[in-house]
Formats: sequence, structure tokens, C-alpha cells
Amino acid sequence: MTAAPPAAQAGAVARRGSGRRLRDAWICWWVFPPFYTLFGIIFVPLTRVMPPPGPAKTTAQIVVFFQAHALTIQVGFAILMLAIGGGSVVNGLVAYQIRRMTVDPVFCYAYIATLAVGAIPGCLFCAFSFLAATFRPDRDPHLIALCYDMGLLTFVGSLGCFATQYLIFAVAIFLDRNKIFPAWLGYVSIWQVVTELLAAPVFIFRGGPFAWNGAISFWEGTALFGVYIACLIMASRKALQRQPPGEVIAE
Amino acid sequence: MTARPAPARRLPAAGALPGDVGMWVFVLGDMVIFGAYFVIFMVYRAHEQGSFLAAQRHLSLASGALNTLLLLASSRFVALAVAVARAGDYRRARRLIGGGGLCGCGFLLVKAHEWYALVSAGLTVQRDNFFMFYYAFTGVHLFHVLAGLIVLVIMAAELRRPAGGRSWLVEAGAIYWHLVDLLWIILFALLYLMR
Repeated sequence: MTAAPPAAQAGAVARRGSGRRLRDAWICWWVFPPFYTLFGIIFVPLTRVMPPPGPAKTTAQIVVFFQAHALTIQVGFAILMLAIGGGSVVNGLVAYQIRRMTVDPVFCYAYIATLAVGAIPGCLFCAFSFLAATFRPDRDPHLIALCYDMGLLTFVGSLGCFATQYLIFAVAIFLDRNKIFPAWLGYVSIWQVVTELLAAPVFIFRGGPFAWNGAISFWEGTALFGVYIACLIMASRKALQRQPPGEVIAE
Repeated sequence: MTARPAPARRLPAAGALPGDVGMWVFVLGDMVIFGAYFVIFMVYRAHEQGSFLAAQRHLSLASGALNTLLLLASSRFVALAVAVARAGDYRRARRLIGGGGLCGCGFLLVKAHEWYALVSAGLTVQRDNFFMFYYAFTGVHLFHVLAGLIVLVIMAAELRRPAGGRSWLVEAGAIYWHLVDLLWIILFALLYLMR
């Protein structure tokens, strides 16, 4: 670049630039619904992780489970490896909206970091445990049972990793004076913390409501997570609609 | 009518919703979540009524009743604080919230003592399904109490601001504290009293 452009021209560039920024944000928003739909297809009918098969299964039953679903587990998690980045786009969009709030940027960084920590036990570890179990079906059945426990314990038990993320998000919403997200979304976020407290006992129980497939630890938490995601998708859409095209975020 | 003192500055209009809509969304949703927990508890209890009744005898009714009284008293303090704040006496409102907070801390102490006594007697979370529910539900409620104490501090700080700060915020905090109280009363009935 040579000489700096005149001020008027610079302003035009900034406006055009921010207009494009909003279009970019909309592209990210459109990743949101298909990503969670795909997520549901992978985890429910394909890999059978949700609803989770029970912790009380015998070793022989676990071997039969993996034999029956080997192909769909492998196909489902292969698709997950290709699509997992979609989660980062979706979370990036929310982090971007937190950046637009009046709260300190540390909330945005903490939000991203807590999700990065949670993604490993909450999603990837389970995938690799199940993939390892189906990779060599002739393996010692006890090792296959170990893969089963590791996969499902991390998948449901890691919910607590996200409690901090929900809390950070809620506090940011409450403190924000720009009102990027409505206050009720902060409260919905707090419910997630409550349900995740009750996912913690999965490490102790092999049956009943607090097991990893239990009515309280799994079903109620998952139902509320569905409500939360639906609210988040709608609220991010509203936030983008209300965002002025020329807005400049203080760096 | 004789001359009355100047009307209270911040009495909400008749029929107006105290607090803010978001807090009501939270409170009603939280009650639905706990409602589902209680239904699940009742289903398990119906299946193993004998063992639930036998396990229930190990709970200290006195501790449960004391905690109920503490939370009822704290709710009374907080309700009075809102009324006094509406009348403009912010200093007294802060003192009343302090009283509510002390009762809340008392609840924590009683609960800690109760858990300690139970665990010392070998009645841990793994003993049976009754104690599984007992520790899980009282634990989540305790989390609500801790959050409530933070809320009381926020309310008191808000009342310190000029003209008592934002009245809706103080009301919303009081609504939350009443939820904590209400949930405990249901828990007390379900876990300690129901025969």
C-alpha cells in the first residue's frame, strides 16, 4: 500500500467492510440449525450413543451391542470427524455476540476456552472409544467393555465441563448493557447448570435415575439442552437482525 | 380522610408483575425442573415404599424442621425488606436482608452438620435409593441457597445506591429467595415427613 486513502473513502471502506461482516455472521448463523440436526442424526440413530445403552449390561451384551451397530458407529463418527468443526463456527458466532456486549472481552475468551475443554470429553473421546471397540471386533470382550464404559462415562459424565460455560454466558447476559441477548436467555442458561449438577452422579450409579441413562442424569438434562439450543438459535437470529450494519466493535 | 404521609414512592401499579419477566421465566421453569425430579422420586418410592420408609427414619426431623423455620424466617425478612424499600427506608431494608442472609447461613450450618452426622453413621449416597435421592436433591437445593446468598448480597449492594437503586432488581432477588424457600418446604415434606 502506498499513500493512505482520503478520510471519506476510508469511511466508505469501513461501511462496506462492516456490511460484509454482517453477511459473514449470517453465513455462520445458517450453520447453526443444520449442524445440530446432523449432530442429532449422528448420535441418535447412527452411533446409538443417545439415548445411551445402560451401564448394567453384561460384557457379552456389550459385545453384541457393538457387533450389531459396528457399521453405523463407524459411518456416524466418520461423519462427525468431518463435521465437528461446525460446532466451532456456531460457538464462534455466540462468542462474537458476547464480544459486542459491554462486558469485558475476558467473558468471550472464557466462553471459547470452556467449550474447547468440553468438546474433548463431551464428544471426541466417546467417538474414539466406540471406534476403537468396533475396529477389532475379535478383541478381548473385557477390553471392548472398557471402551464402552469409557465412551459413555465421558459422554454423559463430562456434562459438568459445560457448567462454567453456561454460567459465564448467563453472567455476561445479565451484566451487558447493550442488551444483545434477552435476560431470560441468561436464566435458561442457568437451568443448564442445575441439570448438569445432577449429571455428576453418573460415576457412582449403575442403575436408577442417576445412572448415565437415568431419568434425571440423562433424560431431563437432554430435554432441557434441546430447549436451550432452540432458544439460543432463535436469540442469535434476533441479535443479528437487530445489529446495525455499520457497528464497530471496540477492540 | 385525614392527611396521610406522602404516598410510598415506588409502589408498583395494581396488578403489575413484581421483579422482571426474566426472573419469572426462571422461577417457573426451575419449578418445572424440580417438579419432574419429584415425580421421578415418587415413581421410585412407589416401587420400594418399605425401604424408603425404613431409610427415612435415619433422617433427623429436628434438623429438617429447624432448617424449615430458618428459611421461613429468612423469607419473612426478605419480604419485609422489599416492603420497607418500597417505602423508601433503604437502610432498614439492608438490615432486613442481612437478617435473611444470616438465616440462610444458619441453614448451611445445620445442613452441613446433618450431612456430617449421616455420613459418619455410614449413611452415604451409595447406601440405597432413598439416600441417593436425598443427597442429590438436598445438594442441588444447597446450590440454590448458595446462589441465593450471592443474590442477597447483590440486593443489599443495589439498595446502597442513590434512591435505592433499581427496585425491579431488588424484587427479582426476593422472588428468587422465595423460590429457594418454597423448594425446601416441598423437599422437607417429601424426604422427611411423607409416611
